[in-house]
Amino acid sequence: MNETMIHCQAVSKSYKKGNTLVTPLESLDLEVPAGEFLALMGPSGSGKTTLLNLLSGIDSPSSGKLVIHGTELSGLSRRDLTAWRARNVGYIFQLYHLIPVLTAFENVELPLLLSPLSKRDRHARVVAALDLVSLTDRMHHTPSELSGGQEQRVAIARALVADPPLLVADEPTGDLDRESANRILELLQQLARRHGKTIVMVTHDARAAAAADRTLHLEKGVLLENP
Amino acid sequence: MNAFFNLLKLAWVQLIRHRVRSSLTILGVASGMFLFTAVETLQRSLAKATAATAADTTLVVYRENRFCPSASRLPEHFADEIRRIDGVREVIPVKILVNNCGASLDVITFRGVPEGLLKKFAPEIEIVAGSEGAWSKRDDAALLGETFAKRRGLKPGDQFDAAGVTVSVAGILRSPFPQDNNVAYVKLPFLQHASKSGLGVVTQFMVRVHAVGSLESVANAIDEQFRSTQFPTDTRPEKAFFAETAAELIELIGFTRWLGVGAVIAVTALVANALLLAVRGRVKENAVLRTLGYPGRAIACLVVGEGGMLGLAGGLFGVGLGAVFLRWQSFTMGNEGQTLAIQPDAFVVTAGISAALLLGVLASLWPAFQAMTQPIVKNLRS
Repeated sequence: MNETMIHCQAVSKSYKKGNTLVTPLESLDLEVPAGEFLALMGPSGSGKTTLLNLLSGIDSPSSGKLVIHGTELSGLSRRDLTAWRARNVGYIFQLYHLIPVLTAFENVELPLLLSPLSKRDRHARVVAALDLVSLTDRMHHTPSELSGGQEQRVAIARALVADPPLLVADEPTGDLDRESANRILELLQQLARRHGKTIVMVTHDARAAAAADRTLHLEKGVLLENP
Repeated sequence: MNAFFNLLKLAWVQLIRHRVRSSLTILGVASGMFLFTAVETLQRSLAKATAATAADTTLVVYRENRFCPSASRLPEHFADEIRRIDGVREVIPVKILVNNCGASLDVITFRGVPEGLLKKFAPEIEIVAGSEGAWSKRDDAALLGETFAKRRGLKPGDQFDAAGVTVSVAGILRSPFPQDNNVAYVKLPFLQHASKSGLGVVTQFMVRVHAVGSLESVANAIDEQFRSTQFPTDTRPEKAFFAETAAELIELIGFTRWLGVGAVIAVTALVANALLLAVRGRVKENAVLRTLGYPGRAIACLVVGEGGMLGLAGGLFGVGLGAVFLRWQSFTMGNEGQTLAIQPDAFVVTAGISAALLLGVLASLWPAFQAMTQPIVKNLRS
């Protein structure tokens, strides 16, 4: 049986917006085994991205227990959480968020710059990551010289290059045409099945969700397996 | 350490690939540092000309209360009496003629000295072109200070005229004392004749003493010697004399320090503004880096690195250009016959470049703080 990658127990997230207390997630329980490709669907404002931010350690829950890859995140200091994020999570954004003045190679290399790896080792890892997304021939191109699908593949290579066990993807196909979207989804499936990555993908697109092993629906901060 | 250098490299890449922004900022910093270099060169040249050192052994004997060369008239034969005073090593009567007694950036000073006494009085002087022999052969021959010759583009064999005197260049001299490199040495009788002051009349005496500690006692002895004559004297160490006679010039130069302060403030504000704009323009990029696991201090390091590099590049450009320009122009400020050679030295260049680097770093501290404390989630949505 696969080990548990994500364990959420009664996780809530609230924040103040003006004088109003907003609670995008309320007492959420979730269990994701390692190597699973999970799709999260739900209407806008249902808390999908908030959950993704909590899972990736860029936001903290207001209450509840969140254990990822054996580490309880609420017990970590900000500094430790940053270091944990660098080792354990790769984040794929809807709009890629590549740094425009850097080449594909340099963008993918970014997560490794703070590691103790030598230049040669970094180079080897970046080339391997770009090879995995079939973009070694475009490594010296800047984002403006790439198509949307290619940019997203570079972003996936960047998320992968530090070899994190967990990938979170926020509508990774939301800005792509169908053909490019299919290619990205195949790549994510391959990463889960062949490379054992745990993937949590937020999507609005039922066809994209169909590529995942399991789909959960978020409605007003509550998870539903079969809506 | 590896990570630190990788961050600096990333900051460098950000700079060179935002060419227009970086170039404009560097140009602004360079302009400020050019001004800073000019002001610091003035200040330092003045300090060198007026600050007494343990190596100072020269006194200047002037006519009491008459500090303009045209007003100070002393009998040449005083030299023999001064020479007999205890502690005096050598004395040389000097006739001074300047083309402009007021404030000027291109003062030409003729120093008329007795033939044969110059080398004896100032053995440190080195003839770098032409010869002393050529100077002896012609009455109107002149030995030009190296800086002065460079400024006027003169070489041995050339003729030039200033202040109503026409001379022939016999040689170029170099002295460790900047003031000597800015004058033209001619023969005393020639200058007395050419300036119509009459033979036997000089402007001042330059006196070298045996020991540094005896400067004051010798000065007092000289003034005492001539107190009751028709030509009472005022004797001071050379640098104190300069400080006294060029007081107005010194006051003006002192004011320029505020220009230097203004340049420093402008450079700081410029770099800070450029970086604040960069940080605001990169809120999403920084949020992405934080998401990738960059700690806040790494983001701050990127911003400070950029600031330091902008400062350093602007400093190298501005200070380098300023130093080359001032060296090429060889400006000489003059007032009441006193000249001040404005020459940048290694200290000014080093201080200017270091200051630019430091200002770049200081100016980036606030933008760096802003960048490192930006909320990740909010900025990813922005």
